[in-house]
Amino acid sequence: MFVLTRLVPGGPLERALNEAAMAASDGTIGTSFEHTGPGGSTLSEDQMEQMAEYYQFDKNPFYGYVLWLGNICRFNLGYSTKYHKPVWDIIRSRLPISLFYGVATLILTYGVCIPLGIVKAIKHRTVFDNISSAVVFTGYAIPSYVVAIALLTLFASDAGLGLGWFPLSGFVSSDFGSLSPVGKVLDVLYHAVLPLIAYVAGSFAFMTMLMKNSLMDNLAADYVRTAIAKGLNFRTAIFNHALRNSLIPIATSFGNNLSLIITGSFLIETIFNIDGFGLLGFESLVDRDYPVVMGIIVISSLLFLLGNILSDICVAIVDPRVKFGADGSNQ
Amino acid sequence: MFKLSLDPQTVKQWKRFRSIKRGYYSAVILVFLLCLSFFAELFINSRALIVSYEGKWFFPTYGKVIPGTTFGLDYDSKTNYKELKKLFKEQKEGNWVLMPLVPYDPFETHDAPVDDVLYTYGAEPPSWETQHYLGTDTLGRDILARIAYGFRIAMSFSLVLLVCSYVAGIAVGCAMGYWGGAFDLLFQRLIEIWNTIPFLYVIMIVSVVVSANFWTLVFVMVIFGWTAMTWNMRTSTYKEKSREYVNAARALGASNVRVIGVHILPNTISVIVTFIPFSIAGGIAALTALDYLGFGLQPPTPSWGELLRSGMQRLDHWWIVTSVAVAIIIVLLMVTFIGEAIREAFDPKKFTYYE
Repeated sequence: MFVLTRLVPGGPLERALNEAAMAASDGTIGTSFEHTGPGGSTLSEDQMEQMAEYYQFDKNPFYGYVLWLGNICRFNLGYSTKYHKPVWDIIRSRLPISLFYGVATLILTYGVCIPLGIVKAIKHRTVFDNISSAVVFTGYAIPSYVVAIALLTLFASDAGLGLGWFPLSGFVSSDFGSLSPVGKVLDVLYHAVLPLIAYVAGSFAFMTMLMKNSLMDNLAADYVRTAIAKGLNFRTAIFNHALRNSLIPIATSFGNNLSLIITGSFLIETIFNIDGFGLLGFESLVDRDYPVVMGIIVISSLLFLLGNILSDICVAIVDPRVKFGADGSNQ
Repeated sequence: MFKLSLDPQTVKQWKRFRSIKRGYYSAVILVFLLCLSFFAELFINSRALIVSYEGKWFFPTYGKVIPGTTFGLDYDSKTNYKELKKLFKEQKEGNWVLMPLVPYDPFETHDAPVDDVLYTYGAEPPSWETQHYLGTDTLGRDILARIAYGFRIAMSFSLVLLVCSYVAGIAVGCAMGYWGGAFDLLFQRLIEIWNTIPFLYVIMIVSVVVSANFWTLVFVMVIFGWTAMTWNMRTSTYKEKSREYVNAARALGASNVRVIGVHILPNTISVIVTFIPFSIAGGIAALTALDYLGFGLQPPTPSWGELLRSGMQRLDHWWIVTSVAVAIIIVLLMVTFIGEAIREAFDPKKFTYYE
């Protein structure tokens, strides 16, 4: 049931979203025309009309919307007004970089948080727990872009207090092409250290505390007590009994990471000047390159939907009570 | 919380909150700072606190602009009290000026005549001598003043945002939980759709269209952010609705509005209170991010995001970025500490760990 309710609105969901986005873009283009209009525009009336026809502003909004939706279904996101290339090509060329950071963040976050959460739950109220809690909370309180800026001033800038250990910006060095394969890998990693820390800092605290709390809840549950009373040692009780159950909340939030990869990143990408998806979104907005903006919205909401589905699948894998199409015991 | 202060449960929660030192002291400091910032004009201002001129006392901080001629100066415009102070000192006629601790307002650039030409300084490092305790930004404005006024704007922004989006979220959430059925389903789907919209990005798009001021920004952020509370309110209303006291109230003939407002809402207050600090932190973070990207409040409004950006562009002027980043980190840490303390105080499960 749960899965079904999520899947069914897929159709109207996209439609409503596009509608909202379309309204926004209609408005924006309207004003951008006003901007160029009185300001001694270089476009003649004829050209304006031509452009209006090209972007189908001459037809009524609803018709234009249906047309646009039809194009989306055929993966035709239109042409960028700035680059004069299909939007899809531009987005595709930026996607690997964002994907690299996204996947690396995902691996790092889960790789660090789950073990740390387990250790913290077992060693609850010890010195280790308290110290790591302080670190984790600091990370939780500060938004990732502030972390990024702080890191940049401390470790990348060579002026003032900076140490100048890491590059200021970019994904690779300018002489990337001339490097050996090993050198290339090292170069990417060298550039990735600071942004990755900033990425991980955001989701890190939440995940660790989620893991710790849910494991502690489970450790206090009767079935773990029974298992220990039965003669199992503590370690087996945790790893065979409690751990699997406490992974359920973690699995629920897994899919959200997919959209986080894209939408959460544009601040960090702007700060570190990484030529990824987020920076593209920001630049196209500044340049009023609306087809690209629309394309990004469409893709990120598709990813969000995909993420929801992925979460449901993850929950179904971890939680044996949830079956597809069966009753929604996880509601 | 204080409204129900006679309720023993609330007293207990309040005591527990006070016992969590980190959160309690953060709350005290933050409230103190907030109150202070509402009277920031008394501490950080280019207008003098008190001017004593020929036996008469003037209090120029609030109220109308006092023209320079009042004090025997040769101009009609706003008095420059810093100059006046110097002048009075030189004249030694018993006139004096008491300036605030930081004698700059957040818009004032650091001007000084060099060879009879008015010259505006760029960023200057912190110095006690010029009373720019945290230095000046790239336009020569005092950073401490901008941080203080930026704090006031950021805090009031997130408080207003909080109230507006909570009113909408709680109303819809309660209605969804209380009536259920088709209404509930319809809004569930609507909210799911609404949630797929990338929040910050859409706000940026909208603020490209309408040039944002304080209230339009609040409005837009409420429109796209009110859904956050609905889920929690829906579940807790749902829970409370099935309790017997609700049935009893309805059996006595209480109307729907009365059941929700008088009986259900007070019982869900713990959910609401728990989320408040985190919403405030979110509001500050979002506003700063928008300002940083240049899609927030219009310059020259003092804002943390704008300071961050100008600091990032000139990393060699390290004092800009450092002071703002430290300010943001401290404030958000305090808000989060408060949030944790409240959550712990309201958590009925005090001892749930394995022993």
